[in-house]
Amino acid sequence: MTSVQRRVVQAVVLLVLALVGLVELEHFWLSTIDRPPILVLDDLIPGYAFALAGLIAWSQRPWNRVGVLMVGIGLGLLLGAGPVPVPSPLGEQQNVLDNTWTFFQVVFGSLWGVALFHLLLVFPEGRFVSRLDRQMVGSLYVLVPMSGLALGVLALVPLQSIDPNLGSASDRFNAVGLSLLATFFYYFGCWVIGLGRVIRRWVRAAPARRRAMSPVIWSLVPIVVAWLGPFATNGPIWGVWPRLVMATATPLLLVSLPVGFLVALLRSEHEMSSVGDLVVKLSDGMLPEQLQPALAKTLHDPSLEVLYWLPTLGRYADLNGETQSLPAPNSSRAATVLGDPGGPVAALVYDSSLRNEARLVDTAAAAVRLALENARLQVQLRAQLDDVRQSRARLVDAADSERRRVERDLHDGAQQQLVTLLLSLQLAKAAAVRCSDSKAVQLLEGSIESLRQALDELRSLARGIHPTILAEAGLMPAIRSLADRCPIPIEVTGDLDRIEPKLEMALYFVAAEAITNAVKHSKGQRICVDVRRGSGCATVDISDDGIGGANPSRGTGLVGLADRVAAVGGRLDVLSSHPHGTTLHAEVPCG
Amino acid sequence: MDDHQNFRELARRLLEAVGLDVVGEASSGVQALVEERRLRPDIVLLDIQLPDLDGFTVASTLSSLPAAPTVVLVSTREASDYGPRVGGCGALGFISKAELTAASLAAMLSG
Repeated sequence: MTSVQRRVVQAVVLLVLALVGLVELEHFWLSTIDRPPILVLDDLIPGYAFALAGLIAWSQRPWNRVGVLMVGIGLGLLLGAGPVPVPSPLGEQQNVLDNTWTFFQVVFGSLWGVALFHLLLVFPEGRFVSRLDRQMVGSLYVLVPMSGLALGVLALVPLQSIDPNLGSASDRFNAVGLSLLATFFYYFGCWVIGLGRVIRRWVRAAPARRRAMSPVIWSLVPIVVAWLGPFATNGPIWGVWPRLVMATATPLLLVSLPVGFLVALLRSEHEMSSVGDLVVKLSDGMLPEQLQPALAKTLHDPSLEVLYWLPTLGRYADLNGETQSLPAPNSSRAATVLGDPGGPVAALVYDSSLRNEARLVDTAAAAVRLALENARLQVQLRAQLDDVRQSRARLVDAADSERRRVERDLHDGAQQQLVTLLLSLQLAKAAAVRCSDSKAVQLLEGSIESLRQALDELRSLARGIHPTILAEAGLMPAIRSLADRCPIPIEVTGDLDRIEPKLEMALYFVAAEAITNAVKHSKGQRICVDVRRGSGCATVDISDDGIGGANPSRGTGLVGLADRVAAVGGRLDVLSSHPHGTTLHAEVPCG
Repeated sequence: MDDHQNFRELARRLLEAVGLDVVGEASSGVQALVEERRLRPDIVLLDIQLPDLDGFTVASTLSSLPAAPTVVLVSTREASDYGPRVGGCGALGFISKAELTAASLAAMLSG
């Protein structure tokens, strides 16, 4: 519906309200001859209250069906006002059928109650949130007018004029009366279930939703008083006055519900002033970390999140730079995307009940726009850094996988072939010995020795590429194995149980490189390796008693090691001074 | 027991050359266990890297059997590449394939 169409319909509703007012005015003056005016206004006051509050709600929130429903309830209440004929079990000839308005009243006059039920179930979004709600409301929209129709026919149509053989009026009344009773119990049951569901939703709702629903929930209390009051005050012990007070207060109590909806509506207007506080805070300077809590407080939604659009990465991220997605349509979360002609800047993700506060959300969002732009730059930097970290970790993982593959290929391929060749030569040598061919034996022994050396070198190469013992037995045995093969004495101290393979690998290569450097360059006589588990980390310290002078900024060895340790979230410290030797301290995080 | 056929053939010739009776061969861990039950050998020469089970697991299983055979582990790698697992799997010992000769095997068997 366009805004012009909406205004036309609203004008028609106002016209209808005025006409109903004129009609009721006559009835009012006639009725007040023998009754207090407030009793005559029983249906008129809530009717007008709902219709007018609904028109305001409809104008302010045209996309929300709440306003339309309230107008419908108001018109329904006004339709139900006035005299309603009492069905007669005697089936006497009644001429009120000529009064079409009265018949219309009987059939449709109770629909406002269904519309009110509908309104309570769809508040605050204006749409159903469950299939059961939809089914209950739909069935009542069908059953209630049908019951009204049955009642109207029974009460108003002269039965004999239809068919004299249809049975007595009394039989007809009993049959219809039973079906009316069944409908009443169904109607009552739906209300009990529906109210229970609404209150449960309110209790379990997120703070923003609960806040939106609260005025309506509290306004139900006077309604319950208005409904239950007559039962309580009708007892013989009460006398006339309580009944009169109750009868006088009832129409006023029934106004509480439209007032509840209006309060819920007007409160967001009042809360616009909280945006002013936000602007003052912003002008005093606000860190990006403070933006989200400030917005959450302004919009009364602790679950509010600020997501930043990262154009270079083509995705949204939170303040920590971690990838986030916008909520799906029709989920319990909603989003407002803030942008400029160049594209989105950020998005506010909040409880879907805040959809009704679009103006408040937009105003608050406009207030923080500049601060969001600044925050986005920081988030983008963090996200890029995070990407680089992940990419580095992936590179190290890929390199380690490749090392494992090469070592396995060497083991299964070249080493296996050479071993087979070695065994063949040994068999040949045995045959030569049997034939007493000393020259052949000598030649074969030389070949066997060369082949053994080649195999040793190949094994050493494979071990350097990827040490099998590290995967087989863990870091401690792997370092002890390194120590066993080292030409300089190595003292291995400490202990460490198995940790993640990539962490073991990082620490092992630090130790292996440090030992190789110490052997090649330190001129030291002794190396110490200490392996430990610290608080939330595992550490390896390698120190030598050599000449020192290792410089991490020169050469790629130590830099490469630092990169490898950093790739698993750890750090490498190098302490080296002439002539006090060199110490490497590697630390990786582990639970 | 080794998944490389060339090695199995050469090892057989090497062992037969010094008078040992080679009763069977296997190319996987599972086949090794099945053949051991069928042939009841005195000695099993067992490669560590097999295509299904690893040699340590096979050695542990064989050692836990009644009338268990003597298991000697072999590999193109060295014992130090496997750490404490070599000593803890129930095998009598380890010989690098490059060092496998009738003499080294006899030395190990004689203790």
